[in-house]
Amino acid sequence: MSDKEKRRSTALPSGMPTGKSVKSDGDHDFLAQAGVGDLLLGAILKMVEARSDDPIGFLADHFCNLASVTDSGSAAGCGEEDPQNSGSASAGAQEQQRLNRALWHLRLAHHSQRHEYVDEPLGAGEDQGVAAILDGSPHFPNQTGVNAGSAFSNNVRVAYDLLNLTGCKKQVDKAPEGSDGSSTDSSTSAGGGVRGGLYTQTLQCLCSEGGVPASTFAPLLRRLCCHDHEAVPCDVFRYGVLTCAVFSDYIRQAQRLYAEVCCPAEGPASRRLCLNVLGTLKEALETSQGCDTYYCVNANTKANTSLEANLKAIRYLQASAKISPLRLAQTMAGAQTLGPGGDMDAKEFEDAAAELFIARVKFVS
Amino acid sequence: MSRLSTAVPAERYLADSQVLFYLTDAVTQLLEHKEEYTQFGLIRYFAEYFSSVKNSNHVLFREFNYIRATEHNRASFIRVFWRCFRQIGKSGDLLSVPEYRSLLQLLCPDFPLEVVQSTARIVLTDDATDCLMSFSDFIYAFQLQFYYQEFLDSVLEIYLDLLAGKSPNTVIVPTSSSIEQLLSAKVEDNDKEEQQTGVDSSTLSQCVDALCDRINYSHPSRSCVRDILEQTDRVTYSGLLVSLAEHESINQTIGALPSRAELLIDPEMDQELDKLHSVVPQKRQKSGDLGFLLEVDKEASSSMEAKLRAAHAETIQELEKTRNLLNM
Repeated sequence: MSDKEKRRSTALPSGMPTGKSVKSDGDHDFLAQAGVGDLLLGAILKMVEARSDDPIGFLADHFCNLASVTDSGSAAGCGEEDPQNSGSASAGAQEQQRLNRALWHLRLAHHSQRHEYVDEPLGAGEDQGVAAILDGSPHFPNQTGVNAGSAFSNNVRVAYDLLNLTGCKKQVDKAPEGSDGSSTDSSTSAGGGVRGGLYTQTLQCLCSEGGVPASTFAPLLRRLCCHDHEAVPCDVFRYGVLTCAVFSDYIRQAQRLYAEVCCPAEGPASRRLCLNVLGTLKEALETSQGCDTYYCVNANTKANTSLEANLKAIRYLQASAKISPLRLAQTMAGAQTLGPGGDMDAKEFEDAAAELFIARVKFVS
Repeated sequence: MSRLSTAVPAERYLADSQVLFYLTDAVTQLLEHKEEYTQFGLIRYFAEYFSSVKNSNHVLFREFNYIRATEHNRASFIRVFWRCFRQIGKSGDLLSVPEYRSLLQLLCPDFPLEVVQSTARIVLTDDATDCLMSFSDFIYAFQLQFYYQEFLDSVLEIYLDLLAGKSPNTVIVPTSSSIEQLLSAKVEDNDKEEQQTGVDSSTLSQCVDALCDRINYSHPSRSCVRDILEQTDRVTYSGLLVSLAEHESINQTIGALPSRAELLIDPEMDQELDKLHSVVPQKRQKSGDLGFLLEVDKEASSSMEAKLRAAHAETIQELEKTRNLLNM
């Protein structure tokens, strides 16, 4: 407490007014010089974009992240002088740190915050996400409505740059070591992309954090992953991250769907019932993927961009309708009479649903 | 994170989070202590500031206006008070209003007496506010009084109106002098009798419900208040406050204190005292015939305990003070 009193007494002789609302010119200059305004503005913008449930915690993490970047940035200069052993250990730790930070950025905004229009109809969000993945190619053209300012896209970009930086640094640091074979091929394009291994690790973390068991997302990863030595460009990175985010949501919904269909007290649900429900789901997915021909034709005529958007919206709404509660109830009622016997447990249902999704994911080539 | 949280407009999100208040305070503190806080860099300063807010360590030794400014600050202060002084509860000491105020002033130099007095009125009856209070009784009443100060003041106004026979639908302008005169006149007339019988619980319940609709400061959950008011036909203001202070849901909502059963658990201090007690019995065994030394030992051990307790509290304060600096 005496320190606090000391602080207070030293504040007075400096001639600063005790009222908080009055700032002297000296204060203004100090704040301007230190760049406090920009720093805080950046923090507030990020916070409002993320709309976290814990805004104070978010800001604490944000500033801590920023502080560790500045700290490690200043430490990097001396890192190259270290002996090779400690160099590789710290590089590994740094990479893990960058991966953690990249994942933090990716968690900030939900994947549905990709477009300017955020007022999506309830329930259509997932279908839209699913459909957009399934009918888009890994190389996204400049879509209308996807602007640089959308939260998710921004965060993906930041995460990509973070991991790309690692790729660059690793090329510089690992040249003298040569212990990790994966570094030899990455020198082809300086800063040309995220290292394949790191990209795959990111996707794995995203899926498992999303609550998807490893066995379920393994087939998905086989379609999305790149070789360790490959450099992953930004659009592929974005495609992979988006697919995993949507897939996690999709699996969670499938789990919830199974929980609705099956009464836990009565044991696993009947196979008939589950197959019918899965069939409905498949139909919904196919509907959202339909009208590809219209899409291709209109892609050539730029003037019809609004028509494209309308068609897409109609498709998504139709898909949503196919999986509406009424429709599902009708399907479930119909299941009583037809189909094979036996039961289907939660895991099998989940795997089957996952298969429907994964079958439509394009391979990353 | 909810997908639909983007529906909340940015201004409202900012206002609800009270982040601007903390940012303003952070910048003000920075300007007041430039040399001290900039030696490790600005970003590190803000990281430390917001980390301490997140961990509820930010209210220590701050002025009263700061600690009462937000709900989070109030809850943090209550928690810090508990952590620093729970040993008093363990020792079973009963303290008076000025003594509790002194303890509070150790943590907040300008903590006002009025809040402590209001707390005492919850624990004790109005007449007996110079009596002593146990730590447990005090801290739960303090929590209610400090956290829901504005709500309790509003309920008191409603209560006095009802006592004065005013219809619940009357719009009250508290600063109107004519109404105040009427109130005080009425209360003086029917003071003792009505205050003992209180007011009709269901009427009060409706009024409090209506109050909750129009206020923007925090209040106990309506269900909690309704539960309490349903217990009796008539209720007094102090009776209501006592019930609120003891209601577990209030404690859980604020989230600063454990339940009464766990309030006095303090493993670290227990270890210190156990070490102390293990030393004292050895001396007793050796001094078989020298019984008079036993009394000296007892005094020594109790004064040592008191010293240890005081030292412990002081140590915690000093450690908290330097914690932020050490972390930098």
